[in-house]
Amino acid sequence: MPEKRACEPLWREEFSVSKADERYVNRRQLAKFLTLGSLGMFAGNLWIVVRSWFRKTPDFAAATVANASEIPVGGVKLFQYPKPGDQCIMVRTAQDNYVAYSQKCTHLSCAVYYAPELNRLECPCHQGYFSIHDGSVLQGPPTRPLPRVVLERKGDDLIAIRMEGEV
Amino acid sequence: MYGYEFYVDPSRCIGCQSCVKACEECDTHRGQSMINFDFIDRSETIGTAAYVCWHCDEPTCAQVCPADAIKKGEDGVVMSALKPRCIACSNCVLACPFGIPKIVPEYEQMMKCDMCYDRTSVGKRPMCATVCPSQALSYVRPEEIANRREKPTNVFNFGEQKITTQVYMMTPPGTEAVVADITEFMWEKVNA
Amino acid sequence: MDGHAKPQQNRGLTAIDAVSALLTILLIVQMWLLSATLDNYLAGHTDAVLPAAIISGLIFVSCFALYRFVREVDKSARG
Repeated sequence: MPEKRACEPLWREEFSVSKADERYVNRRQLAKFLTLGSLGMFAGNLWIVVRSWFRKTPDFAAATVANASEIPVGGVKLFQYPKPGDQCIMVRTAQDNYVAYSQKCTHLSCAVYYAPELNRLECPCHQGYFSIHDGSVLQGPPTRPLPRVVLERKGDDLIAIRMEGEV
Repeated sequence: MYGYEFYVDPSRCIGCQSCVKACEECDTHRGQSMINFDFIDRSETIGTAAYVCWHCDEPTCAQVCPADAIKKGEDGVVMSALKPRCIACSNCVLACPFGIPKIVPEYEQMMKCDMCYDRTSVGKRPMCATVCPSQALSYVRPEEIANRREKPTNVFNFGEQKITTQVYMMTPPGTEAVVADITEFMWEKVNA
Repeated sequence: MDGHAKPQQNRGLTAIDAVSALLTILLIVQMWLLSATLDNYLAGHTDAVLPAAIISGLIFVSCFALYRFVREVDKSARG
């Protein structure tokens, strides 16, 4: 039975018999969908804010990770810092220069390795390259630099005191 | 849209079936006629009637379609079922008070007259109305129909339900609406 | 005798199309904002997180206002 438009059930309005109505309904539904998408992304941003408020700065325990004469110049040592399972890579770039970074590539967490001929850290998965000097991205899909392990030299011991550049 | 209206006068039908053949010729559905051609009571009379879709203002077929396949255009012409959507459930076949939609099993598709929309939207006459020799099916201006003795009406009362259509039925003068009580024509004899 | 046919109902469609395009652009901007904020946060720079959330909220409010406008145009065009 024909009903007045004001009291039409929702399904009859959304799936209108008239072709002319369809044009409006489709566009209105698109606008609704886009607005909901916008709400979702705003919620994502809010979530990041909340996370940042409740983030505790982790206290890094100092840990001796290597002996100064253990690795040759251009050599590599893998160690775990700050917790077991957090893989890190240390490279002796010069006689007295040691650098260490987290080994998890910032793109999709593949393990990076040291390429001595090009003097950089490389990720084999998607060819992301990081600078050996500060871990910044040279090329490839990663957007964030590799988190750095700050090393301190005490005599012959290399001690990791904290991580930089990571949440 | 161009000032023409469709008029159906079953009393003029001579049973030549030219409308059926002409409808079949349309390239969009070649070989499949969408004219509803009836032998009124073949054992008793040679009377025939040819019907097209009545293009109701509130199309029942469209309202019951579960796949939203039947649409009414802006000028009031009710289209045949959309091919990607029709599931041949026969809801429209059962719902139409005039019995117009037909399921074609080979295509799993409902097909019905769409008033030759490719022709009428540019001012031509539908195929059936063009070829009907007795003009039982005619697509003319209202002034031309006014010359006939029968008068057009587009209101149908099916019991309590009133249906208005875009296609006119020619009826005896003075008829306000066509009243149809289906039970009167059912062959099962019901003890009153 | 043309009383059955409704007049062409294309009023407001141009406005709705323009609003849809604007909505899409706003969404692309918001998408970039979210990904850049997340990237910065994961890298440890948390100072940009709150301003980004505020701007994202403003974009959402604009999107909502545009959606309401579409509803208004739809209502007035179709009744």
